Order: sequence, then C-alpha cells, then structure tokens
Amino acid sequence: MRRFVAVRLFHAIVVMFLVATVAFFLIHLAPGDPFSFDNPNIPPALRDQWRAQYGYDRPVLEQYVRYLGSVARGKLGWSHTMHAPVSEALAQRLPRTLLLMGLAFVLSFALGIRLGVYEATHWRKRRARVTNAASLLIYSLPDFWLALMLLLLFGYWLPILPAGQMVDTLHEYMSPGRAAWDRVVHLILPLTTLTLLLTATIARYQRAALLETLPSDFVRTARAKGVDERDVVRRHALRNALLPMITLAGLAFPTILGGAVFVERVFSWPGMGLMVTTAIAVRDYPLVMASVVVGAAMVALGTLLADIAYVLADPRVRVR
Amino acid sequence: MRLTALASSLFLFAITACAERAGDTTGGNTGGTLIVVQSGNQPAPLLPPLAIDVVSRNVIDQVYDRLAEIEPAMNTAGDRGFKPRLARSWTWSPDSLSVAFSIDPRARWHDGQPVRASDVRFSFELDKDPKTGTQVTQTIANIDSVTVRDSLTPVVWYHRRTPEQFYDFVYQVYILPEHVLKDISREKLGTSDVIRRPIGSGRFRFARWEPGVRIELLSDTANYRGRAKLDRYVVSFAADGAGAVTQLLSGQADLYENVPPDVIPRVDSSGKVRLFRYPGLQYSFLQFNLRDPKRAGAPNPIFGDRRVRFAVSMALDRQAMLRNVFDTLGVLGSGPFPRSIADTSVTLPPFDRGRASALLDSAGWRTGPDGIRVKNGRQFAFSVIVPTSSSPRMRYAVLIQEQLKSIGARMDIESMDISSFITRSEEKKFDAAMGSTQTDPSISGIKQNWGTEGMAKGGQNYGSYSNLRFDALIDSALTSFDAARSKQLAHRAYQTLVDDAPAVWLYDVLKIAGVHKRVRRVETSRADGWWTDVADWWIPANERIDRDRIGLRPAQP
Amino acid sequence: MFADAFDRLTGWYRRLDTSVRVALVVLVLMYLVALLAPIVAPYSQSEQIDIVRMKNHAPSLAHPLGTDRVSRDVLTRILYGARVSLSIATLAVLVSAIVGTLYGLVAAVAGGVVDTILMRLLDAMLSIPRVLLLIAILALWNPVPLWMLIILLGLTGWFDVSRLVRAEALTIREREFVVAARSLGARRSRILLQHLLPNVLAPVIVATTLGIGNVIVLEAGLSFIGIGVREPSASLGTMFQEGTEAFAGTWWAALFPGVVIVVTVLCVNILGDALRASLDPRHLPRVLLGTPTAAVPPPATAE
Repeated sequence: MRRFVAVRLFHAIVVMFLVATVAFFLIHLAPGDPFSFDNPNIPPALRDQWRAQYGYDRPVLEQYVRYLGSVARGKLGWSHTMHAPVSEALAQRLPRTLLLMGLAFVLSFALGIRLGVYEATHWRKRRARVTNAASLLIYSLPDFWLALMLLLLFGYWLPILPAGQMVDTLHEYMSPGRAAWDRVVHLILPLTTLTLLLTATIARYQRAALLETLPSDFVRTARAKGVDERDVVRRHALRNALLPMITLAGLAFPTILGGAVFVERVFSWPGMGLMVTTAIAVRDYPLVMASVVVGAAMVALGTLLADIAYVLADPRVRVR
Repeated sequence: MRLTALASSLFLFAITACAERAGDTTGGNTGGTLIVVQSGNQPAPLLPPLAIDVVSRNVIDQVYDRLAEIEPAMNTAGDRGFKPRLARSWTWSPDSLSVAFSIDPRARWHDGQPVRASDVRFSFELDKDPKTGTQVTQTIANIDSVTVRDSLTPVVWYHRRTPEQFYDFVYQVYILPEHVLKDISREKLGTSDVIRRPIGSGRFRFARWEPGVRIELLSDTANYRGRAKLDRYVVSFAADGAGAVTQLLSGQADLYENVPPDVIPRVDSSGKVRLFRYPGLQYSFLQFNLRDPKRAGAPNPIFGDRRVRFAVSMALDRQAMLRNVFDTLGVLGSGPFPRSIADTSVTLPPFDRGRASALLDSAGWRTGPDGIRVKNGRQFAFSVIVPTSSSPRMRYAVLIQEQLKSIGARMDIESMDISSFITRSEEKKFDAAMGSTQTDPSISGIKQNWGTEGMAKGGQNYGSYSNLRFDALIDSALTSFDAARSKQLAHRAYQTLVDDAPAVWLYDVLKIAGVHKRVRRVETSRADGWWTDVADWWIPANERIDRDRIGLRPAQP
Repeated sequence: MFADAFDRLTGWYRRLDTSVRVALVVLVLMYLVALLAPIVAPYSQSEQIDIVRMKNHAPSLAHPLGTDRVSRDVLTRILYGARVSLSIATLAVLVSAIVGTLYGLVAAVAGGVVDTILMRLLDAMLSIPRVLLLIAILALWNPVPLWMLIILLGLTGWFDVSRLVRAEALTIREREFVVAARSLGARRSRILLQHLLPNVLAPVIVATTLGIGNVIVLEAGLSFIGIGVREPSASLGTMFQEGTEAFAGTWWAALFPGVVIVVTVLCVNILGDALRASLDPRHLPRVLLGTPTAAVPPPATAE
C-alpha cells in the first residue's frame, strides 16, 4: 500500500511538472503580455520599458528557466493584478473555492446517493420516475445557465438573496450574528447551483450502479435467505454499488472545478475560478501559471484519494 | 500675466474659502456610505505615477492632492482655469520661467506629517526619473527642476514659455509624501507596499483593500480642506457588467458608472436610481491602416488611397448607428478629439452612399460578379480588429459590416481580447481597427495619435497617417499664446486631417451612470472623471439606510 | 441489406419509450432545421432590418421571437446559431471518437510497455481540468477560427472514450473468436479491423452521443464568457451571452437561445440514456448492423 501511494505520488509530480511546462509555453507564447492592457493613454514605449523591467522581453526559454529557478526557491512570482506575491493571492482565494466546492461535494453526495437508491429501488413507481426525469433535466442544464437563472430569479425579480459576492461589502461592520447570517445568504445561490448539478449526476450514477447490482446472484441469495428487502439493499447491494461512487468522486473533481469557474463568475464569488479567468484576461502570467498548477494538483490529488479509497474499500483489489 | 494670475488665484481662493464655510453649516449632513461597483477586476495600482485604469484614478483623486485643480471648463492654457488646492496661491517670476507655490500650512499627510515644499520637489523628481516608468515623464519634459525656497514654498522652473506650462506641472504631478517613498527603489515601486496602502493629503484617507473585491476609503476628519462629507467611500468589483447592474438595481451598490444604453429604461423605471450623464475624454473611430500590414513601407492596397477612405466614410450612416448603440444619449464623433475639449465646427464627410459608390468607381474599384468590388484582381475585402472588451465597438463593427455591403465591400470581423488587440495595433498588423483614444484635457496628445512623430516605434499613430501640413499647423496652434489664433490654427489642422479621412469618426465615449436616489451629488462633472467632487457629495440624514449609520469606526479584522 | 437494417431500425423505434421517441424526433427535427437554415429561416442571416426603429423589439407576428439589439430577427439567428452549435458539437465529438478509439485500440493491441506509457500519458491528460485548459487556450490565443475551436474541443474530450475502448478491446481480445483468428495466423491489422473495431464501436457510440450534449454545454459556456464562438458568427451560447448583457430590458434575446440549448441537451441525454440502458451497449451493433456479438460476460461476484 505504501509503495502504491509512493508510486502514484511520483507519477502525480511528474504529471504536474509536464502540465506546468506545457502551460508555461502555452501562456508565454500567446500574443499579448501583462502590459498590453487597455489604456490608450499609455505610449507603447513605456509599455516596452515595463516589459523590460519585469523581464517579459526576454526569450521565452530564458523566462522558463528563470521561472523554474524561482519556483525551486519557493517563489511563485508577483501578481500584477492582486498586487501581492502569488502565494499570498492563492492563500487568500483557494480556501474560498474549497469552501464552495467542499460543501457542494458533501451535500450532493449525501443527497445524490439517497436519491439514486430511492430511484433504483422504486424504479417501477411513478414518483421515482418523476424524480428520475427531474434529475435528468437538471443534469442537462448548463452550469452557467442554471446559475444565471437562479441569480435573476432570486437576486433580481424576487430580490430576497444577494446578487453575488461572498459577503456583503460592509460585512466587517456587522455584529457576529448578522455576519454569520450574511455569509449564509451569500452562499445559498452558488451552493445551490453546484449542488443541484452534482446531485443529479451522482443520483444517475448511483441509480445505474444499483440497478446493475440488484439482479446479481449474491443479492438473490440474500433475498432467498429471507433477509428483509431494506437490508438487502443497504447491506448487500448498496455496498457493491457504492464502489463506482468512489471513482466518481475522483472524477467529479475536475468537473466541479470547471463548474466553479462559471458559477464563481456569475455570482462574482471571489475564489480561484474568478481569479483565474480575470488573470487570464489581463495576462497576469505568474498567477495563471500558479492557478493551472494548483488546479492540476487538486485533480491529481482527487484521483489519488479516490484510488486509495477504492483499494481500501474493495477486498478484491486489496488481495491483488 | 503675473499680476492677473495672482489676482485670479486670490479671487478663486476667496471663493473656495466661502464655499468651505458654507459647507460647515451643513455639518449635520456628514456621514453615510457610498458603494461604487465596478465591472471586471482592475489592477488599480494606487500610486499616481503608476495609475493605469479608471479605478486607480478614481481612488487616487480622493486620496492624493495636486497643487492646483483644473476647473470643469477644462481650460488648459494659462492658469486662469485652475483653482487652489494644496497650494493656496502662486506667483510667477517676471520672465514666466518659474512659478512659486505657497503650500497651505494646514495641509497634513494622513499619517500626521505636514506637507512640505520638499515633497513637491520629491514628487517631481520621481515623475521625471525614467526608472519610475511613468507616462508622466514625457508630459513634464518642459520642466527643468523644482527647488525649495522655504519649507512651504516650492519653485517650479521651466525650460521654455508655453501656453500650457502651468497645466503641464499642476495637472500631471500629484504631490506624494517624501518620507514614505524616499527609501523605496524606483524600479521596485510597482511591487512595493505603497501601491496597496496609499498615504496622501486628500479628503478621503485609505482604509483597506482586498484585491479584486473592494477598496475602502474613510473621511479624513482632520483634513485642511474640511472632512469629506461621506464617512465612507467603497469601490467594489463585480465579475462583469451584468453583475454590476444587478447589484445597482438590488441596492447592494449605490453607483455604477457605466449603465449600458439597453438597460437604461429598466434602471430608470426602477424608481430607486437616478441616472446622470458625464462627459469623457475618449473618442472612438474606425481606423484605417494607410500602410500595407504585410509589406513594410508599402501603401495599403485598399486604404492607401484617400478616395477609398473618403468613400467608406460617406457610406456609413453614423447617425443611425449612434441611435442604435446609444439611443438618444450618444454623441456623434466630431473629429480627432472628444467634443468636450475641442473645436466642433470641422466639416466631416457627409453620409451619401451614391457619392461613395461614384468615388469608388472613379478610384478604379469596379463591382465584380459577386457584388464585391475588384481592382487589379484584388477584392475589396478586408478585416477589422475589434476588442471584445468594448461592447459598443463590437456592436459598431457588426453594424458597419452590414452597411459596407451596400457599397460592395466585404469586411470580416476579427474580434479578440484587449491584450491581443493592443499587440496587433502596436505591431500595425491590421487593415482596419475599431480604435479608441483617451486624451488628456490638453489637445497636445493629438500629435502622438495622428502626427508624423507618432509613427515611430513606440508611438501611438498605429494607422501611420502622416501629413506634414497637419503637423505644422498643430505645432503652431500649441505654441501660440493668442487664444483666438491658437483656436483658428487648430481648426485648420483638424480640417486638414479630417479631409484626409484616416478614420471614420464614430462617437464620443459618453457614459451614463446610475446612482442611488438618496445620494446628493455635486452637479459639476469634470470630463476627466465623475468622481472629482465626491468629497462634497452627501446623504440627507432622514434618507439614510443601515450602511450609512455605521459611522467612522474602523472595520473589525 | 439496407432494407434489412431499416426494418430493424423501425422495429427498434417502435419499442422505444415515449420520452425517447419525442427526444429522437426533436433532435432529428433540430438537425434538419439547422441543416436547412438558409431555406427555412424567415430572414437572411445577418440582415439588419432597421437599426434605429426595429432594434430590441419584443416578440410579434413578424418576429415571433423578437429582434435583437441590431434589429436582426432572433428566430433566424437561433436557426443559424443552432446550426453552428450542432455542427461544432457533432464534429468535435467525431474528432474525439476517432482519436479516442485509435488511441485505445493501439494501447490494447500493443500491450506491454507501450500500453503502460500510453495509459500514464492519459492519466496526465485527465488530470488537467478541461474547462481551465480550454479557457486558457481560447482566451490567450485569439481569435480562434471555428475549425480550430472544433479541433480543440475534440482533442480535449477523447480521454474517456479511449479508456472505454481499451477496456472493451482487452476483454474482446481474449474471446474465442479472436483467439481463434489469431491461432489461424491472421495478421494483427486484420484482427484489429475485422474483429476489434466493430466490437468496440458500441461503447463509442454511446459515449459519443452523450458527448454531444457535453460539448454543446461546454461551447455555450465558453461563448458565454466571451471566448468561444465570436461575432460575426454566433452559436446559441454567443446569443445567450449577448442577450444577458441586457437581460433586464430584452429578455427574449437571452431566454430563447438558452431554452434551445437546454432542450437540445436534454434530448441528447435522453437518447444517450436510452442507448445505454434499454439497449445494452454490447447489443447495439446487433441492432444497427446486424452483426453477431459475443455473449455478455457474467457480472463479477464478490460473495
């Protein structure tokens, strides 16, 4: 097991290095640079001076070597848009995205598995068919579309929830109770969007997995033994049907990360997703680089954790 | 000259003194919070020499002071168009090659230190130093040095007498605290802490900043010009324009400076928001590249010909496009300058598609079999580069594309993000561009954009328009001390340029802002920013909402 | 042979759920209308009817879905937009299917070190969040021509397909008929073409169908943040984005393109589900092509 984790970790590191390299050239060879921003007042000569000052006029290969050197020394560079070292910007933004993603993750797995089990065990019933249709509908909704509709519905036509951002502009002046409430109301819409989408996905997978397991021999055996139907589902069938869920959890990471980009943008949620889209737009190279690497690391970590969980949960794999 | 300057400045000082006393009687109206929402995340370095975007200029104008302030009329010649600010008065030397300012002895930096003449000298030297990397350096080229006569009297020395010499120094150079900045290496200013935590002498002082989320200012209660009436001034950021409008309508924000024309009816009918128009110093145009982007030095195969450029100008219904994009609120382009600061009597090519077609025929562009004109085997087909960041320019491009079909021209739209757009412009790799230029209040910038000197690498004359007659006329206009003569020369220069049709003058960028009705605004908007008088805005006590009652206490961490 | 396939197809259609039938009909209609947009559209594609008096008109008889901000007919624009969206999605998933199938087959057939390397590479590519990658490429390298967008969408979407194909091919490789062919001395390429390829097509078809929905959403999302399809060509996503800029004033310009996106994706997903569930992928070739497939292996048992 330890060896397995070590090998996988090594793979992950190699992958991240590759991703960083590809990303670096992809970003630095593209037209434009951090100083080609919109201000018709600034003469090109001055832009050139700034480029030289921060080394963006050097050959890309030299910039790459220099970048690797500074990363090796633990420096991720300076972000021109955040006016802070990149590490500081990440430390501020990453937890906010993780909060949103983590909550959505937990909520939707709790809800999705339940819903999937219900739909699978009652699949002949009308109500289960309705919820199944509903989860297919939600599964088909584009993330940005759902986010925008919710925003317009509850932030604009029926303005009972704030129209974006993570806390009120004057959050720091609120009493502790109101401040906490303020956080909650700002969380509702983005969290609902992400949770709805992910719940639908999980429910569909869970339903399919369980429907596949229910006709298996061991379930039939359990039924024949006279085990109560609820126990058949919970103790025998579900245990097996949960295995694909672990894989799904690992795979859902990149999806939810992508969803977070759109959701953060629609709701002006100041997390990684919003930061990276604006950083790309203004060519804040060091920040884009760091964000891409962090994104890849999160995905790699998600997959790794899922694999470890899978090994721990499935005796068949463990034996091998 | 000297006497009138002194007299006028004293007179102006008297007026402002009166105004301030009048301000004191409305003392009950101090308090309140104003939240301005901005779309997109702007980097906003909060140090005047490094200011690059709207947000940084907005915040800097609240936190820092200049020696004197330009009046809304934007008269840049002489010193009559200026009112005292950090300087209570100023005195010219007999030869007009130096001017001594007298700094208000009550002026203090926000950290409590007094503002000194040496701060003025320091600020000038910082701006003059190429290592600082600021656009101010080139605009203060005529200023030789600043000396310190005594602790409250800096003296500015000029190389030459020019009509705009006072403006050159006073408008461009913000006064910075020497004791805060002197130990920071000038190349490192851009990554130093001062651009995040400015210390100035303005009526608002900096409170805190969360990049990409908000910048918060508080009233400087001990300010020498009286405290800002509002307690708190916050700039917050929404991800995009739609988010900003939603925040304005939902009351989360009090002001949005760029309400799109299509949303205006909706904002107006909300009943909570008052709209106001403010003039700008930006104008937009369809620019032609007079040179061939593929072969260096050669004229452009289509737009190298003046007749073709003129024909395209005549083929476009500028009025209808303006109505489409801005409804009744637009301002038609009137030449290579924004209407708010220059001559509007220049005659532009008329809208006349018949004449446009005839002109193209005579230029050798004959209608081909597919309806597109052809000359020497080359089709009248070109692409226009457009930045996606500008919604009006994107829309204009779509409109122009359709209108050009009527004269047998095919225009493809190449839309790209602003960064690529700037790169393409700088490399002059385009046939046509949806361009836009922001000027200073002075017209001198026109030389950079349309003059021969702007064609060199590093210049802003991306279309490579060059006419020596225009250059000469503009130079004469800028050096003439006779206002009437200067105006006449400038008019002739503009007419020369417009007759050469290096661009189609589409519109002046004039923005509509929406502000919450409880906010009382000072109704004089300067063309270089709606925010210049925010320190005098106020909210009546009986209309305040929760956030207006927070008071001046600092935020909990 | 074609008549035979047709009979099978109609028979298959009759056995379908109502919802699946509706979805199928809607989709076929959608593709037809998109294909015939120049004929069925009431106005010409870019016609600006009257930029001053006819802009932002609410739905009316002449313009059942209203006009947009430069006085173009929204219905016409949607027809052409659907054409762009559907073509992009279809072509992109085709690219994915081809690349993914080849990659998976090569890995499965080659085996050994090559397989390991290819699979490690695949892991690496899977660990890049697709949306982030696309945003980075499209936002930095613009303007991106339409064909390039299709290739990009295709090249970032084949990883799952190749995994499926490899797994399927590995199981089939050990089946009797392949083993038999091999022992009879058939060449590798022949086995690949004649035995493996037809048999792995089933999961590919299912994944491809479901992929169309994904790509439509993805492209719409990219266009929504302004970096996908750009003016003057417009996909449904571009139109939706344009519409939302002034949603408060002119809801129709955003609502209708949005609804079309949702309906299309829903139909695609219903169809994909039907393909996967009511027709086990393993039986799909038999239905469509009438070729025999090996028996389904029994599910693994744990107890």
